Amino acid sequence: MWWDIIAVKPMINSLIALSSFLSGNLGLSIILLTIIINFALLPLVLKQIRASKAMQELQPKIAELQKKYSKDRQKLAQEQMKLYRESGMSPAGCAVPMLIQMPVWIALFQSIMRLVAIIPENFLSLSQYLYSWPVVYTALPLQNNFLWVNLAGGDIFLAILVGGTMWVQQKMVTPVTTDPQQEAQNRMMLWMMPLMFGFLTLTFPGGLSIYWITSNIFRIIVQYFISGWGTLFPKTVTKKATKEKKPKKLMAPAEQTSVEQTPVEKEAVTEVVAVSSAEGEKVTSEGTGDKRPYRGGYPAHLRDVRRHPRRGKGRHPKRG
Amino acid sequence: MRFERSKKDKVLFIIGLLLAVGLIGAGCVGIKSTPEGGSGVAVAGGTLYVAPVLRTAGGGLGCEPQPSVGKLISMDTSGAQQWEVSLEPSARAGGGFGCAPASVPVAIYGTPAVNGGLVYVGGYNGIVYALNSNSGALRWVYPRQGSLQPIIGGLVVAGDKVFFGNSDGKVYALDAETGDKKWEFATEDKLWSTPFVDGDTLYIGSFDKRLYALNTADGSEKWVFEAEGAITSTPIIYNDALYFGSFDRHLYAVRVEDGSLKWKFMGGNWFWASPAASGNNIYAGCLDGKVYVVDAESGSEVAEINLERPISSSPAVVGGSVIVATEAGKVYAIENNQRRELRTLEAKVLAPLYTSNGVVYVHAENDKLYALNVQSGAELWALSLSGK
Repeated sequence: MWWDIIAVKPMINSLIALSSFLSGNLGLSIILLTIIINFALLPLVLKQIRASKAMQELQPKIAELQKKYSKDRQKLAQEQMKLYRESGMSPAGCAVPMLIQMPVWIALFQSIMRLVAIIPENFLSLSQYLYSWPVVYTALPLQNNFLWVNLAGGDIFLAILVGGTMWVQQKMVTPVTTDPQQEAQNRMMLWMMPLMFGFLTLTFPGGLSIYWITSNIFRIIVQYFISGWGTLFPKTVTKKATKEKKPKKLMAPAEQTSVEQTPVEKEAVTEVVAVSSAEGEKVTSEGTGDKRPYRGGYPAHLRDVRRHPRRGKGRHPKRG
Repeated sequence: MRFERSKKDKVLFIIGLLLAVGLIGAGCVGIKSTPEGGSGVAVAGGTLYVAPVLRTAGGGLGCEPQPSVGKLISMDTSGAQQWEVSLEPSARAGGGFGCAPASVPVAIYGTPAVNGGLVYVGGYNGIVYALNSNSGALRWVYPRQGSLQPIIGGLVVAGDKVFFGNSDGKVYALDAETGDKKWEFATEDKLWSTPFVDGDTLYIGSFDKRLYALNTADGSEKWVFEAEGAITSTPIIYNDALYFGSFDRHLYAVRVEDGSLKWKFMGGNWFWASPAASGNNIYAGCLDGKVYVVDAESGSEVAEINLERPISSSPAVVGGSVIVATEAGKVYAIENNQRRELRTLEAKVLAPLYTSNGVVYVHAENDKLYALNVQSGAELWALSLSGK
């Protein structure tokens, strides 16, 4: 079967070969293989993190659109899609790495269930998945236990660890929002996935849970190095950022806009300034699809935020 | 904004749903989530004893509830059932999630052992049952309370003791009459193989890659032979040597007196099943789909018979014929190093074969017990053990 050839067999033989260098410890070999897989998927993971970050930065503009077209949902959708298109991003882009990882999870699950000698029929079928490498034959059987974990069974502590690490990772990428409804949706998403995976952990082999935990920790580390703690510790980040970077050029227009904006809009703008500063990144107009180089002063996305209300609502006189 | 957020949520929700369905589907289809068992046949005094496969009818898809109550069935040689007993499962600690049943199923893999009016079986639930061979009435269970780790191999009765290996890595010797424990011997990994007793010595292979020779009286170690792979096949004795296969792709011949290596022969995959001996040759079915015929003295290859599908069922010897079944359900007679197809069954065969009075009994994975004529392969009768 093609699935066995391209996914299950390589996974099984890799785990056995790695185990042979790790005293037959299947748990350690799962961790090592997870790290290797995550490094291989790193470009996709980075893309996802950047997409999430770009999504965060679009929040003020989206908030504006939402306010502007609050009574015309069709127009709102069109404008949002236009905004995403202009920014060169897709909301579904955030989920692609997860989709790509699904075959890895399934292959790993099938590999673990065959590798752990629990049910004779499964273990017997393992023989048909082995390459002719001598090490593969002498390394078997592998140890079913790793720390306190039975790699073939569910475990409540693993469920907590899977859910906990996933929550931390989700929290780091959850966008800041001032919309209560969106906030509620974000909160639901923040809890739904960790709870679902936590429940799955109780059902599926501990080896798969070790994969999830290692993957989550890997992504937390990557996420941290790219965009800091994000919304996991928002107050700390904002204060620190405000203290470290408070250029007058940046603040002056913001003060001007405060006259033009509602308090909610102003708050959103201030938050974005803080987050962008905290990340210490080079502020360009790349995220909005504007190819003009950054020449100091007001960041591109905030310039856009300022412009939109004027065009949309027409409450303010046009300049020049 | 709300529209797009809700769209994104829907996308993520669908992904989550797909993930759950995919994983559960992968978990419950293709991979067995619960043991099913299915023993070989034991024949004593004109009566057959066999434990059926635990399986829901027509199923396998999704997380269907798996039966957990085991059965032992007694019948005469014409296939007429004499009695059937249900063997109750033990509770699973902390179980019951997803595809896992709330109790450990009494799946019986090992061939029953019959001696002195009792029939003995060991279950995956870690309990040994001793039943009256005439009525099926339960005489005793071991342990009296709780359970051991899964029992995969068969039991052997010798003298006044019954012996078995357990997944906890220990060899147990029980009083055959009362079920009291006489002794136990610990190895370093799982024991899935059926012990072999010859005189006052018990031989058993372990997942720890060793073959142990133990004194049946007190469980003391006589010698240990170290292979390079795990051992699940039951050793046989032929001409003062022990023959057994290993996961390291080797068939081993070890001297009975001191456990020293006589020779080893390399196949193409695991040797899961026990070998058979006939005419100074050893016949070893391999999971690479071949039967290797090896000279018992020198270990040199006499013939290599390709049966095309893995062989995990231990063969049986009748006169000059060696009867072998493959996982594809084909039953062959090997005569003069040539294969002759006896019968193609409707399901794969994993359980060991048994021959008696010119009949070979085959318990297939469709839970049918077939009685075939050894010479012609004609089906004498076939009985559905699940009663359907």
